[in-house]
Amino acid sequence: MSYTKQYPMQFTGRGGEYFVIWIVNIALTLATLGIYSAWAKVRTLRWFYGHTLLDNQAFSYLASPMQILKGRLIAVAALAAYYMATFFAPLLAVALLVIFLVFLPWIVVNSLRFHARLSAYRGLRFDFTGTMGEAAVIYLLLPVLLLPTLGLILPYMAYRQVKFIAGHSVYGQTAARYQGSLKPFWGVYLLSLVLILLPFAIMAYGGYQAYQMQAAGMSREMAAAAVGTFIVAGMVAFYLMLPVVGALIQARTANLLYNGTALGPVGFTSSQRARDLIWIFLSNLVLIAVTLGFFIPWAKVRLARYRAQQLTVVGPEYLDSFVAGQHQASTATGSEIADLLDLNLGLT
Amino acid sequence: MSRFAADYFDGQTSRAHPVRAAVEAGQLHVQGENIEFAFPLDRIQVAPPAGQARGVVHLPDARELHSADHAALLELSRLTASARPERWAHLLESRLRYALAALVVAVLIVFVGLRWGMPAVALLATHTLPAGLDSRIGEESLALMDKISLSPSTLPAARQRALAHKLDAQCRQQACPPYRLLFRDSRLFGANAMALPGGAVVMTDALVSLSHDDEEVLAVIAHELGHVQHRHSLRLALQSIGAGVLLVAITGDIGSFSDLAAGLPSLLLQSGYSRDMEREADAYALRWLNAACIPPRRFADILGRLDKAASDKTNLLDSHPGTRERIAPFLASGSCT
Repeated sequence: MSYTKQYPMQFTGRGGEYFVIWIVNIALTLATLGIYSAWAKVRTLRWFYGHTLLDNQAFSYLASPMQILKGRLIAVAALAAYYMATFFAPLLAVALLVIFLVFLPWIVVNSLRFHARLSAYRGLRFDFTGTMGEAAVIYLLLPVLLLPTLGLILPYMAYRQVKFIAGHSVYGQTAARYQGSLKPFWGVYLLSLVLILLPFAIMAYGGYQAYQMQAAGMSREMAAAAVGTFIVAGMVAFYLMLPVVGALIQARTANLLYNGTALGPVGFTSSQRARDLIWIFLSNLVLIAVTLGFFIPWAKVRLARYRAQQLTVVGPEYLDSFVAGQHQASTATGSEIADLLDLNLGLT
Repeated sequence: MSRFAADYFDGQTSRAHPVRAAVEAGQLHVQGENIEFAFPLDRIQVAPPAGQARGVVHLPDARELHSADHAALLELSRLTASARPERWAHLLESRLRYALAALVVAVLIVFVGLRWGMPAVALLATHTLPAGLDSRIGEESLALMDKISLSPSTLPAARQRALAHKLDAQCRQQACPPYRLLFRDSRLFGANAMALPGGAVVMTDALVSLSHDDEEVLAVIAHELGHVQHRHSLRLALQSIGAGVLLVAITGDIGSFSDLAAGLPSLLLQSGYSRDMEREADAYALRWLNAACIPPRRFADILGRLDKAASDKTNLLDSHPGTRERIAPFLASGSCT
């Protein structure tokens, strides 16, 4: 007999179904000059959550559109103030940027907390208990140290982000623990470094060859043409490598996050593969371009389905022994600022 | 109303209780194994169903009902007061035809708003903003341009003084907006003239060399004074800020892919704004030249030459379109009183 049971995550939404919701969201958002975007966001997330099933129970998204709208208005006002300032008083804009940096830890913590508190499963809410001090270290101090350490701190930074996000997650009353170690992050980033350096190796090899040819008595023009060819080839390889490395980091980071996390009696198995993600990203990109953007809903659904398929929850025979924690209110402002600025908090 | 099957969560534990629910006499009744309760409809909230996704009914004390019975949930959401705007969404989503029609209407609304609404608002704002603001912006943008795209004029000082003196003499006889005449050399702008907020009028050396006589230069300055008079540069700045903020707000949810294209419409519509402004500045220049007893033809002459010089280079976003149409009134008119 097995003491533990495997619960595969399922995503049951279909692209065609989301397409209609998506297009009506766009239409109403445009017609209301952006006001409806708050309702659009809630509707979209409710659709995605409602189609994400675990043990045949759906997740639910609980934010009210008015909450989102308030946060969004504050975020837009802040952004507008910044734009105005860059135009009318550049010095003030610099001051606003500094203020933004001071507020960044607050934005990070509030964003993660809002996201968690308004997500629920089986009637119990999630929560996030990370502190602003830790956020300041991870999202302000470590990025500042990237330059003097020549980026060597990057794996450690990624590890701390994952640990911060996973280790402070709470479901009901049950706090998650992050048990992953730093070592595999080094693997991910060293592999990425090798992949990124490959195109430069092509260029360097080209330069060396040309040098040899010239030494062997070939004309200067011929050698220059050879160098040019290798540089172009290297640049093409470099731009092709960027999405590959992006997908690699995303897939491996998601795996490291889930596989190292334990939530009470429950563990996770995530098996995303970089090559699958690359295929999804690239084919999505081509199809979106060919269809002038109309493929976007199907593209999002494909990605959601893949991510769900690769995630399995390992837990006891029944998942009904979790207990509720205390309900706390939170504001959407931080989350909306993060959204508007496309801040990447390391959520995958 | 028909009964529907649901999973009940008591908000205390993660345990699912299969129940059946139905509305009777203004109350939602829930029944299951060892479970029986009812709530008046005004105490429950239905998250309006989106597509075929599972729906949630929120009961007091964080209790929830989850159901896949969309028809029943939709009926229930109509009975409760919650979430009115989403009823519209639901209606439009019910037919692909409606959805596409809504999209077309929405795009039209945005186009009209950017093309006519935003300029009107910017004009209103221009009138309410204090005049000191113009000159501050003007100073800052001039300082910036001096650093990156302008260099000191190489025109002889005597020529500069002569032009400034002629303009000064004119502006003592007729009303001019407060202005400051500046000469600069610029490889980037070529033969060009600019009116900055606050009244700084910048003439490039190439423009002065292109002219055949001082009257032509004065004609161009008159046109720029028209821009100053109507505070066009401030209006343009306000419009582009407004359009930018609006587009960010609107496209925030459409998806990051569209962000690439978001700046494009405002740029294309932008050249439309300045066309109206050119016409206003031209009208001002015509009146000014007539009052100064300078043949308006001078403006047509130099504009024609500028146009020729410009069309030699490739110019994608020409902000001075329809030269022939513009110079017509200058050729016809010639009344000096």
